[in-house]
Amino acid sequence: MQNSSAIKENMPDNAVNIGNAKKTEVFEPRIIGFLCNWCSYAGADKAGAAQKQYSPNVSVIRVMCSGRIDPQFIMDAFQKGADGVMILACHPGDCHYKEGNYRAVQRHRLLLRLLGQLGIEGERCRFDYVSAGESDRFVSVINETVEAVKKLGPLKIK
Amino acid sequence: MKTAVYFCNCGTNISDKINPEKVQDAVKKKNGDVIFKTFDFLCSEEGREFLRKDIMDNAVDAVVIPACSPRDHEKTFMNVLSEAEVNPYMMQMVNIREQVAWVTEDAEKAAVKAVQYINAAISRVNLQEPLKKKEIDVSPDAVVVGAGPAGLKAALSLAEAGRKVTVVEKSPTIGGLPVRYEEIFPNMECGPCMLEPIIGEALHGDASGNIEFLTLSEIEDVVGSYGNFNVKIKRSPRYVDTEKCIGCAECIAPCPVSFKNPFNCGINERKAIDFSFAGALPNVPYINAELCLRFKGFNGNENANVVGNANGGAAGGFCRLCVDACPVGEEIFKFDEKEEIIERNAGGIILAVGSALYDCRKVPSLGYGKIPDVYNSLEFERILASNGPTEGNIRTLDEKEPRSFAIVHCAGSLDKNHKGYCSGICCEYAFKFNHIIRNKIPSAKIYHLYKELVVPGKESGSLYSKAAEDKNTVFIRISDINGMAVAEEGGKKVFSINDACVCGSGGGNESRKIESADDRDGENGGKISVDAVILCPAVVPARDIDGLAGMLELVRDRNGFFEELHGRTDAGRSKIKGIYLAGSCHSPMDIKEAMSEGMAAAGYVLSGLVAGKKLSIDPISAVVEQARCSGCKVCIGVCPYKAISFDEEKGASFVNELLCQGCGTCAAACPSSAVKANGFTDAEIFSEIGIMLA
Repeated sequence: MQNSSAIKENMPDNAVNIGNAKKTEVFEPRIIGFLCNWCSYAGADKAGAAQKQYSPNVSVIRVMCSGRIDPQFIMDAFQKGADGVMILACHPGDCHYKEGNYRAVQRHRLLLRLLGQLGIEGERCRFDYVSAGESDRFVSVINETVEAVKKLGPLKIK
Repeated sequence: MKTAVYFCNCGTNISDKINPEKVQDAVKKKNGDVIFKTFDFLCSEEGREFLRKDIMDNAVDAVVIPACSPRDHEKTFMNVLSEAEVNPYMMQMVNIREQVAWVTEDAEKAAVKAVQYINAAISRVNLQEPLKKKEIDVSPDAVVVGAGPAGLKAALSLAEAGRKVTVVEKSPTIGGLPVRYEEIFPNMECGPCMLEPIIGEALHGDASGNIEFLTLSEIEDVVGSYGNFNVKIKRSPRYVDTEKCIGCAECIAPCPVSFKNPFNCGINERKAIDFSFAGALPNVPYINAELCLRFKGFNGNENANVVGNANGGAAGGFCRLCVDACPVGEEIFKFDEKEEIIERNAGGIILAVGSALYDCRKVPSLGYGKIPDVYNSLEFERILASNGPTEGNIRTLDEKEPRSFAIVHCAGSLDKNHKGYCSGICCEYAFKFNHIIRNKIPSAKIYHLYKELVVPGKESGSLYSKAAEDKNTVFIRISDINGMAVAEEGGKKVFSINDACVCGSGGGNESRKIESADDRDGENGGKISVDAVILCPAVVPARDIDGLAGMLELVRDRNGFFEELHGRTDAGRSKIKGIYLAGSCHSPMDIKEAMSEGMAAAGYVLSGLVAGKKLSIDPISAVVEQARCSGCKVCIGVCPYKAISFDEEKGASFVNELLCQGCGTCAAACPSSAVKANGFTDAEIFSEIGIMLA
């Protein structure tokens, strides 16, 4: 993992004080990831079983289906200080509930417009498909998003 | 509310990376009065016993378990909660093994993340509500649509297990397509003989009392859901009493009206009163009301008079030639019979409506429908059948015995302009045709034109080998069927095959090249002349699928077949709960597979719907808070399971918990936040977001 030594040096003794991340020199983004139970959450488990290391910056919230992800959840996350949000769904045609992932992608597209109006960059709200078998893809999607948000810096809502 | 955190070390899988003590300190600091305990293997027998006892001893109301993925042991721990007399939905697992310990390089960061997750879970679990599984009564009976191999097998299996089954068949006879085949691959068994014992068992066997056959019938409407369907069936009149008729066929010859017999693909004619074919079951003729003079006679009477006089059989009035010929008596004929709507209750519906052949007119270069003696395989099956239009003699339309045949495999298959898939059965019956033709016309020349050869299964090799070893059988591999042109030249069907559509011949086998010397232009490409052409078209969905799919709101795959719940693990289930798929209505398949699928569909009904046993409903479902509902009906549109309906009286939507699968799409769509997704409520998720970002 990148910058891990730098972070360690800057970590306070009480490592269990997460609020300090922003105070360190290296920006550690806080990202909420909404994962559907059947594909992407299972993909994350698979990455775990294979012990593939990835950035810890994404906090996962499990929902049964990506169709459950209310755009309000995403707005709420940004409002409460998230620097980025991820929505991971089953691949088209693979949704356990037939079409929840299509709803999710539709809502995401609309939401991007709203975020744009609020000055929130689209890269901070990533939608992607990860299947239960795609552990490598899960890891790369997580790491890419973390890197992208790192580049953008902390979110400041005007 | 007393909340306890039971931290599983998972041996050292978790505790090696995440220090439980540090986590405990941090969690306790944030949630003062929370109980925090660690255990090495919570899922072990000792672990579960420790958990059960500790929950009871401390009168815990809500449990957080930082351990492995909920996909591993959520059910295990829910059961422990039940044993400890705590509602099993008052628990939240925290996946600190797969999604933290195993994937986070830095131990301190892993601990930070674990604490954040546990805090979020504590906050969430305090908002969770005890949920209860509901139970409802179900009907153990079934409706089977289609009386082909799959439907018959399903019906018989269910009936033998004591279930009541209604079989709905749109044609006048039962048995499906195989009763049309003289012989069946791979071992040249007689088709009707193979099916007759099964049909006989269903009609007259020990379990036949449990099976009701409704022929000339179609599904009109279905309401209700899994466990309690109400099925409306439209039965068209047969006009002949199936109970009293003795099947002697005396009525048929006197009938003055003939029309093309659809059962024989229009190759011969049948009478307005007739059997579909000799040996059809049930052994009762039926009357085609559109053609029978009797029915025309009701209006105006002119035709009936004319025919009556001309034949001398009916002295004025309505034509009654069949009635007069009947040795049983007039009461057999029920000319006033009307279309009838029959209602049946069933817990499950098995769809076994079969498939059809791709319309070869859509591949115009093959000449089907334009050039005589170009048949599709179903038509050729009837020509080969001893009860068919030619009594099993292979004759061209001008009554000659053909000397040469072209059997075109992959007609419309493996072709992105037509059907992209391989139907998997055509090669097998093509080699069956080869075998039958060879026996009937030993000197005939047979060409097989194919894109790919597919002969799977332990028994299929022998028919293929016979064809491959036969001197007068030629294999020509074609790359593009659209590149061939069939034309009629002097009574012969001439295939022009250009270079572009001939693939390399297989394995140096001379017989696999074009070797019709007289017509041959070159090494690749050329012409072959034959007397008859047999096309083996792609297997496609039957037309009936349209109506059923619309009525039942079933999903169809990109090829138009019914889509399975899962193509491999649940191919016998549709995406609508309680509606099962058997046979070629969801994928091309042979008789063996169709029979197995019929059995499998019966298995779903037998295991899911047990008489006297109630159906338990998972409480992870959506509920509409009707006071908040504005009546916009957005939820109804997004529900993939048609589980939401609108109560006009209350002006609010409501969810059928039985159909709801708990995806929560409606909750996300509701603009009034009136839909509560049990187990994943807005409040629970907002609290998770808040704590994770705290």
